[in-house]
Amino acid sequence: MAALPVVVAPIAGACVMKPHDALDRSALVLGVVSIASALFVFASGELEVVRVQVAGVVVALVLGLLAIAAGWLESRTLIFAAGLGFLVAAGVQLGLLARGSGGFLGGNASTFSLWLGLGFGLIAIGMVPRPEPAEEIALEDQNASVIAPSTDG
Amino acid sequence: MASTDYVAGTDNPTDVDYTASTNDDATDTDDTAPPDPFLPSRIDRAAIAVVRVGVGLLWLQNLGWKIPPNFGQGDPPEGLYLSTTYAVSHEVLHPYTWLVEQVVLPNFTIFAWIVLLVEASLGAFLTFGLATRFWALVGIAQTVVIMLTVLNAPNEWIWSYLLMLLVHAALFATAAGRYAGLDGVLRPEWQRSRSWLPRLLVRAS
Repeated sequence: MAALPVVVAPIAGACVMKPHDALDRSALVLGVVSIASALFVFASGELEVVRVQVAGVVVALVLGLLAIAAGWLESRTLIFAAGLGFLVAAGVQLGLLARGSGGFLGGNASTFSLWLGLGFGLIAIGMVPRPEPAEEIALEDQNASVIAPSTDG
Repeated sequence: MASTDYVAGTDNPTDVDYTASTNDDATDTDDTAPPDPFLPSRIDRAAIAVVRVGVGLLWLQNLGWKIPPNFGQGDPPEGLYLSTTYAVSHEVLHPYTWLVEQVVLPNFTIFAWIVLLVEASLGAFLTFGLATRFWALVGIAQTVVIMLTVLNAPNEWIWSYLLMLLVHAALFATAAGRYAGLDGVLRPEWQRSRSWLPRLLVRAS
């Protein structure tokens, strides 16, 4: 099943799927999750699964956009930076909670947990080594040659 | 694990790997093949992913009433501190009650922070499916602690906690992070690595 896009893509003239597409897509999805979490600013009571208020909304939107851009641009550095940003935000939120309130971020421990997950997730993705461009081209050629039908008589 | 007949009830046989093995040894991994599915169909895999995210959100949302720095210590007691005192006032297991009365409550702030960090991690890692099998086991342990604390308190329902135990067992058994989770995306990379951390994460996922 993994080979199917490699067969179809050259015929369709589309791009061949690269080995780390799933990782970049995952970073993009995590960015979308962060942006979606900002919607909880409108939630209250039992619907407030995670508290995102005040500057926390800005954090969710900015770092979410960074993660989306990082996944779109297939940049391991940006993915790592977005993850680090979420972990810093989580740490700041926890520090504010230790002082007695959500502070300027306006969150609670659920906010800390969400950003903790996003942070570790993006960092785990960013830590995956990427092949050098020459290696990636060789791998794509190898995939294409494995799938291409034999023309021997 | 020997090959399993997934034909009965399978709605997409082409998704099934009849030679699936649970051996996590990297030498068994074909880098170009999709991950071995424990669950034979897309519906099964989507369902367990939904369950995993739901359980993660359960832990995440229930952090809201665990409020540092006092966690409810005061007059009258409330929040996490009040819940913890139920282990003494509504005893479930005597040794555990002794432990709470003699060790936990006198040093409550430290234990409250530990609970907060553990449950925040449960929410974080189960929601996004990272090292899921490890955190499923942690969830079982934390659920047992909660049961021993509040099971005999007023208005409690034992099946709440039994269901929590069962769902975490299911997340562990199905390695739920491998479906629409980061474990599924990252495991092939971890299996290729010779470093200790990725190999540990293979076991934990």
